[in-house]
Amino acid sequence: MRESLHAEWTKLRTLASTTRLLIAAAALTVAVGAAVDAATRCPSGGCNDDPAKVSLAGIYLGQVVVAVMAVLVVSGEYSTGMIRVTLAAAPRRITVLAAKAIVLTGLILVAGAISVAGSLLAGRLILPDHGISPAHGYPAISLGDAPMLRAAFGSVLYLALIALLSLGAAAAVREAAAAIGVVLGLLYLIPIIAFTVGAPTLSRHLQQIAPMTAGLAVQATTGPSSEPIGPWAGLGVLAAWAAGALLLGGLLLRSRDA
Amino acid sequence: MTTATNTTTDSRPPADPPIAPGRDRFAYLLRAEWTKFRTVRGWIVAVFVSMVLTVLLGLFISSHSHIAPCTTGPNGGGCSYILPNGPGGEAVTDTYYFVHRALTAEGTITVRMTSLSEASENGQNPQGGPAQKQPASVPWSKAGLIITAGSDQGAAYAAVMVTGSHGARMQWNYTGDAPGLAGDVSAASPRWLRLTRAGDLVTGYDSADGANWTEIGAVTLPGLASSVQAGLFVTSPGSTTPTNQGATSASGTSSGATDATADFDHVDLTGGAPGGSWTGTSVGGGSESPYPTGSAVGYRQNADGSFAVTGSGDIAPDVTDGVGVSVLFTGLFIALIAMVVIGALFMTAEYRRGLIRATLAASPRRGWVLAAKAVVLGGVTFAAELAALAATVLIGVPLLRSSGNPVYPVTVLTEARAIVGAAALTAVFAVFALGVGSILRHGAGAVTAALTAVVLPYLLTAGIAVLPTGAAQWLMRVTPAAGFSIDQVVPAYPQVAAAYTPANGFFPLAPWAGFAVACGYAVLALGLAAYLIRRRDA
Amino acid sequence: MDTTIDVAGLRKRFGRTLALDGMTFAVPPGRITGFIGPNGAGKSTTMRVVLGLDAADAGHALIGGRPYTGLRLPLTHVGALLDAAALQPSRTARNHLLWLAHSQGLGARRVDEVIALAGLQTAARRKAGGYSLGMRQRLGIAAALLGDPPVLMFDEPFNGMDPEGIVWMRGFLAALAAEGRAVLVSSHLMSELQGNADHVVIVGRGKVIADTSVADLLASVSGHSIRIRTSARDRAAAVLARAGATVAISGSDALTVSGIPSERVIALLAEGSVPVAEVTAHRASLEEAYLELTKDAVEFQSGGASGSARPAAVS
Repeated sequence: MRESLHAEWTKLRTLASTTRLLIAAAALTVAVGAAVDAATRCPSGGCNDDPAKVSLAGIYLGQVVVAVMAVLVVSGEYSTGMIRVTLAAAPRRITVLAAKAIVLTGLILVAGAISVAGSLLAGRLILPDHGISPAHGYPAISLGDAPMLRAAFGSVLYLALIALLSLGAAAAVREAAAAIGVVLGLLYLIPIIAFTVGAPTLSRHLQQIAPMTAGLAVQATTGPSSEPIGPWAGLGVLAAWAAGALLLGGLLLRSRDA
Repeated sequence: MTTATNTTTDSRPPADPPIAPGRDRFAYLLRAEWTKFRTVRGWIVAVFVSMVLTVLLGLFISSHSHIAPCTTGPNGGGCSYILPNGPGGEAVTDTYYFVHRALTAEGTITVRMTSLSEASENGQNPQGGPAQKQPASVPWSKAGLIITAGSDQGAAYAAVMVTGSHGARMQWNYTGDAPGLAGDVSAASPRWLRLTRAGDLVTGYDSADGANWTEIGAVTLPGLASSVQAGLFVTSPGSTTPTNQGATSASGTSSGATDATADFDHVDLTGGAPGGSWTGTSVGGGSESPYPTGSAVGYRQNADGSFAVTGSGDIAPDVTDGVGVSVLFTGLFIALIAMVVIGALFMTAEYRRGLIRATLAASPRRGWVLAAKAVVLGGVTFAAELAALAATVLIGVPLLRSSGNPVYPVTVLTEARAIVGAAALTAVFAVFALGVGSILRHGAGAVTAALTAVVLPYLLTAGIAVLPTGAAQWLMRVTPAAGFSIDQVVPAYPQVAAAYTPANGFFPLAPWAGFAVACGYAVLALGLAAYLIRRRDA
Repeated sequence: MDTTIDVAGLRKRFGRTLALDGMTFAVPPGRITGFIGPNGAGKSTTMRVVLGLDAADAGHALIGGRPYTGLRLPLTHVGALLDAAALQPSRTARNHLLWLAHSQGLGARRVDEVIALAGLQTAARRKAGGYSLGMRQRLGIAAALLGDPPVLMFDEPFNGMDPEGIVWMRGFLAALAAEGRAVLVSSHLMSELQGNADHVVIVGRGKVIADTSVADLLASVSGHSIRIRTSARDRAAAVLARAGATVAISGSDALTVSGIPSERVIALLAEGSVPVAEVTAHRASLEEAYLELTKDAVEFQSGGASGSARPAAVS
C-alpha cells in the first residue's frame, strides 16, 4: 500500500494537468462565488438569501472541474494504455484504486479548503454592500459561527466526495468522456427530474437522493428546514453514492481484463 | 474550394472516370462519416438506449405528476379539473363574483369605485365576513364593470376595471389588456368606469371625476347575443411570492389566496331589460377548481344604492394550473447527455489514436470533414430524438390526462414547434459538443464544457435557488441554455402574476430567439473548430 | 528453481475467438527464449496473463513457482515491456520511471541507473509524448529493468527500431541472458531473432507448435539439400540414388540431392568419376523453418481436421 500511495502521488504530481485543474477548480469557485455575491440584491432586507449558499455558489462550477480531474486520474491511464503498466507494477487492483482515492482526496481537500476559504472571504467582503449585512439581520460571515463553519467544512467534504464519486464512475466506465457524462448526468439529471415532475412528495424524495441537491444541503445556514434533507444526512447521501461508485468501479476493475 | 476542385479536374488524365463535382464529393464524405458513426457499436447502442430512456422518463413524469390545481377531488388526493378554454383557445381562469342585470343590444353601464381592499382567506373570522381588510396589495386584484357573452366558463367578455397596483385597465377575452388611468383607487381619489355596448362593439372608458371621460379601448365581441349579462365584478388571484423555488407547486396562487372587496356607487345602467334587478352570482370556482371560493364571496346592496362586492379568483389566461406538453421532454436530458458525449467523441476519438491523420489524408479539405460530421451527428440526433419525442407525446399526453393533470390546449403548430424544436435543439447541442471537442481535442474536457454550458444554467434557473433571479434569467439569455425556450408552449402574460420559471415552462427569451442563441453557439464552435483544424497540424 | 516462467494449459476466450488454446511452455534462466508466431497467435495475450492483467479461463502461469498477483513487489521479479506507447504523453520519461520506481519502493537513483542503461540520458527530461517509437522502446526497456528482475519479457521489442537500435537491442538482450536472467522475447518475424535466440517457442492459434533449440529446429524441419551442376546428369543421379539419396532433376545439367550428408555426396561422385562443375550446400534458414511450421499450423487450422500429432512430432 505504501508503495502504491507513493507511486500514485508521484504520478499525479508529475502531471502538469493536475496543478492546472486544481488551480482552475479553486479559481472558478471563488470567481463565480464573488460574481454571485456581486449580483445579489437585498436592498431592504428580508430576502431569502442564505449568505453561505450565495458566497459558495461557485461550487456548482468548481465541482465540475473536480469531477474532470478525478475522472482523468483513472481514464487518463486507460486512454493511453498505461493502466497495464500500473497494474503490472501493482497487481492488487483494489489497492491501486484505494491509493488513487487517497491521494486524490488529499489534493481535493487542500484545493477545496482554499476554494471555500476564498469564497467565504469574498462573501464577507462583498455581501454587506449588497444588503446581506448586519443591518438586515445577517451576521458577518465568520467561521466562528457554528452553521457557517458547518457549511464551510461540509462544502470541502462535498468536493472530496464528488471526486470519489467521479473516480469510482471512471473506474467503472473507463472512457473519460463517457465517465464525465455519467457523473454530470447523475449530478444534473435527478434535480431536473425533481423540478419537472409535478408531484411535491416525489420531487422532495428525488432531491433527497440526488447527490448534488442532497450533498449541498450542508450549505444551508439560515433555514435548513427549507432543504429537502438535513445537512449531515445529505452529505451522507452523497457519501453513499461515492461509496457505491467506488465499490462498483473496484469490482469491475478487479474482474475485468486490463 | 471550387477553384481547387476544377484545377484538380483539369490536371487529371482524360482516361480517368468522370470526376464527381464538389457536391458529390461532399456526399462521399457524408457517407464516410456515417459509416464511421454507425460502426462504433457503443454509439449506436447509446443512441437507442437514450431514446428508450427518454421515452420512459417522459412516461414516468406523466404518470407520476399530479398537477391538479385542487386537492379535494373525488379520489381524495387529486381532482380532475378541466381547464376552461377562452375564445382564443387558450386555457383560462374564469372565476369572480358577479352582480349583474340583463343588457340589451344598445346600452351603457357606469359606476364609481371608491375602494378596493383585500383580506387573506386564512385571516377570515368564523362568521364568514372578511376579518382584517387591508388596502389592495395583490397587484392583479380586479374590480369594475363587465359585459359577458354567457355564463359558461371561458365565455367572451369585455371589462373595465381598477386593479390592485396596475391602475385602471380595459381587458377582454382573457388575453386582451389595455391601460387606462394610473394610480390606486381610494375615497379621496375615486375612479369612474363606463362600458358602452353598440351591437358587437364594446367600448371602455375611465374618468377621475365622472365628467371628463377617456376611452381606454374598444373591442368587438363577434356574435354577442342581443341580451347579455352586465354588471359589477370583483376578483383577486391571491398573492404569488416571486420565487424560483416554487417550481413544483401546482398552483402559484393556492397558498396565498385572498378575497378582494370593492365599494361601488353611482351605479347607472341604461338599456337594461325591463323589470330586471341586480343578482349576485359566484362565477366559476368551487372545490374542484384552483379557487375554492367559499362563503366569503358575495355582495351587499346598501340603502343608498351603493354596493360592496367581495370576490376571489381571476379572469385571465391560466398559466399556473395546467401542464405543458413540454414537461414530457424532460427525458430528453438523457438523450442530450448521451449525444453530447458521442458528439465530443466523434471528433476527439479520432485524435486519440491518430485516426484523424487517415481522415484528413482521405479528404484534405478539412472544413468539409467537420461539416460532414456535423451533418451526420445532427441528422442522427434529430431523427432519433424526434422519434423518441413523438412516441413520448403520443403515449404521454393521454397518460398525463388520465392521471388528472390538465394539459394546456395549444395549437397544432405550437405543439409541432415544441416537439420538432426540442429534437432539433438536442441535435444543435450535439453539434456544439462536436465543435467544442474539435477545438479542445480532449473528450472529457469537451463533454464537461458543453454539458455545463447547456445544462447548468437551466438547472440553476429552474430549480436550485442560489442565483439572484435576475442573474439566473440573464444566464438563460446568454448561454446555450437559452435554446430551451423552444419548448415554451404557453406564453407569459404581463397581466398575470405567476412563477415564470423554466421549470414551469417559461423562458426569458422568445422560442425562436432562444433557439437562435443556441444555434449561434453551435455555429461559433464549428466555425472556430473549422479555422483551427485547417491551421493546426493533424 | 529451474524454470522462471512456467505457463501450463492456458485457455482464454474473447467472445467467439479462442485466443489461447492450451498454451504450455517454460522459460529457463540464462538464455534468450524466442516467442514466435504470426500476428494473433496469442503471444501478447499469454504475456498479459503472465502479468496478471488478463485472467485465463483455465491453466496457470507462474513466476518462480508463484502466481504474479501474489508477488509483493512484482517488478523486482519480472520486468516486462508490453506496449511502448502505454504512457501518458505529458509526463517526462524520467518522471514516468520515477512513479514506477516508487511503486516498487525504489528511489530516484535506480531511475537514473536504468536511464543510463537504456541510453536515454539526454532525452530523459523531455516529455515522453514527443518520443519516437524507438525511443519509447528504450524507455520501456528501462522500465522493465527498474526492479533488476531475474525474469524479463519483451513483446516485439524490435518494432520501430532503426538498424542501429536493432543491433543495440540484440547486444543488450544477449548481455541480459549472459547475466543469468531468463529472457522471453516475442516476435512475429523469425529473422529478428536469428543468431540471437538460443531456444524458440513457436506458437500458432493459441497453442505451442514447436518448443525447441534453434539448432534442432533447423535440422529437423527440412535438413539440408545439395545442388549439383554436372555435364553427366543422369550418371550422377544413378550413383547417388544407389547410395540411398533422394535425387531430383532440377535442370538440364542440375540435380538437387537430399538425404545424405554433403561429404558423402562428394565422395560418391569422386568414386564414380563423375565430372562436377559445382556443388552447393543449401541450408534451410530459420525463417524458412518457421514459415513451414506456421504454414502447417494454418493448414491444420483452416482444414478443421482434428488431428494433433503433427505439431508435437517436431519437439
